[in-house]
Amino acid sequence: MAHLEPIQRQLTVYCARSLHQPNEASDVLQSAITVAFRDFDKYSEGTNFRAWLFRYVTLEILNRNRASQRLPKVLTEESQQLECRLDLASFRLETLLDDPEAVLDHCDDLVARCVWELTLQERNILLLRAIGDFKYREITEILEIPIGTVMGLLSRARSQLRDQLLQYAREHGLLSKGESA
Amino acid sequence: MNCQETKRHWDLYFDSEGDAELHFQINEHLNDCASCAEWFSKESRLESLIEDRLTTPRDDDASIEALPWNQILKAAGVMPVSKSRSWFSFGSAMLALAASLLLVLGFGWTAFNTNRTAIDSPSLSQLSGDVHRHVSSGSLRPEFESESDIEVDAYLLKRVSFPVRCPPRKDSGFHVSGAGMCDLAAQPAAYVIGSVAGEPISIFVLSEHSLTAFPQLRSELSRGQVFHCRESGQEIAMSVIDRNVVLVVGKVDRARLSHVLKSYGTYPHAS
Repeated sequence: MAHLEPIQRQLTVYCARSLHQPNEASDVLQSAITVAFRDFDKYSEGTNFRAWLFRYVTLEILNRNRASQRLPKVLTEESQQLECRLDLASFRLETLLDDPEAVLDHCDDLVARCVWELTLQERNILLLRAIGDFKYREITEILEIPIGTVMGLLSRARSQLRDQLLQYAREHGLLSKGESA
Repeated sequence: MNCQETKRHWDLYFDSEGDAELHFQINEHLNDCASCAEWFSKESRLESLIEDRLTTPRDDDASIEALPWNQILKAAGVMPVSKSRSWFSFGSAMLALAASLLLVLGFGWTAFNTNRTAIDSPSLSQLSGDVHRHVSSGSLRPEFESESDIEVDAYLLKRVSFPVRCPPRKDSGFHVSGAGMCDLAAQPAAYVIGSVAGEPISIFVLSEHSLTAFPQLRSELSRGQVFHCRESGQEIAMSVIDRNVVLVVGKVDRARLSHVLKSYGTYPHAS
């Protein structure tokens, strides 16, 4: 109980942002916590409780999203090849970097919507980092993937998220100054 | 390290990952290269704003704030469910009613006599805002003046009795200029002064135990999130980080204050 209180808000926001149906957050948390505390003997006191519990919540979210047959975009072989940020991309991003509020303030849930354009793993990594404030090593424990994958996919997720924001800004004429389509 | 290599490691630098040697080399390059320093600052600002949007629920997203945690924990078997007996409930209700009546009478009498209790409880944001104004106007000089993060860190470790971490690095846009000690409602506090984009910023650090003197803040800060408020034209962001209460005060936007707050204590102390 004492362990849970400080992370309740992080768990809530993480769930709401990761679920196809954010109003299922309550059910998902209840199921995940029930299973986690059933397995509590597997948890070693003094180790990373937050990461341990987030793993259960992440698995429950995955199950719930699968059950609702709204599978997130699958990571394909082609898209697994990591892309470097090209100079051209940086150039296009300049206006966004100069005045990010012009885009972000325009639509409150824009970022949350753009996150759904990412692949499942990219989204998990990005949300664990941004909402859970987890270190790369902790994310490897939660998702059981190598640290190189975490680093690569996080970089790619950030890059793609910016592209999404930029595309939205172009479509809505928010970046008119010096920005070619 | 050249510009290309430095930019390639931005993620590691922003996330405070990688080893100390890498961060040292990046810092060295950023000190010498204004173009990269500006690029890092803009990238970090955008990423902080994105994180802020993901972490902070929208105003109309009441379901996130109002999640019934007590019910969730009870249903999950983590929190004991109270027994329901009608006669017990009725007795409890009557007792509660009587106690409430006594409390209301007692409170009314106290309020009639003093009329000050709640109003006069100290406000941490107001006190820290006052100190910040004095420091930024130059009427209060910090005990220790230095533009080196390392030196200010060493000063804090030597002077502060409670556990304290180092000031933010330059990549968060915070340029340190000094540090000192003060009392906020008789609670010892350390402050670090500096600037963000030319605007004076103060960071106040108190022991978490000091929250006993500021009961109105305990519920806000116990949730582990960043709490924002305004005090006499100053923006204030505060949070509990490790065992410290940390406040960042200044006339800059909330996202920048949050970023400075999150950057507090982001590299290991020199041994």
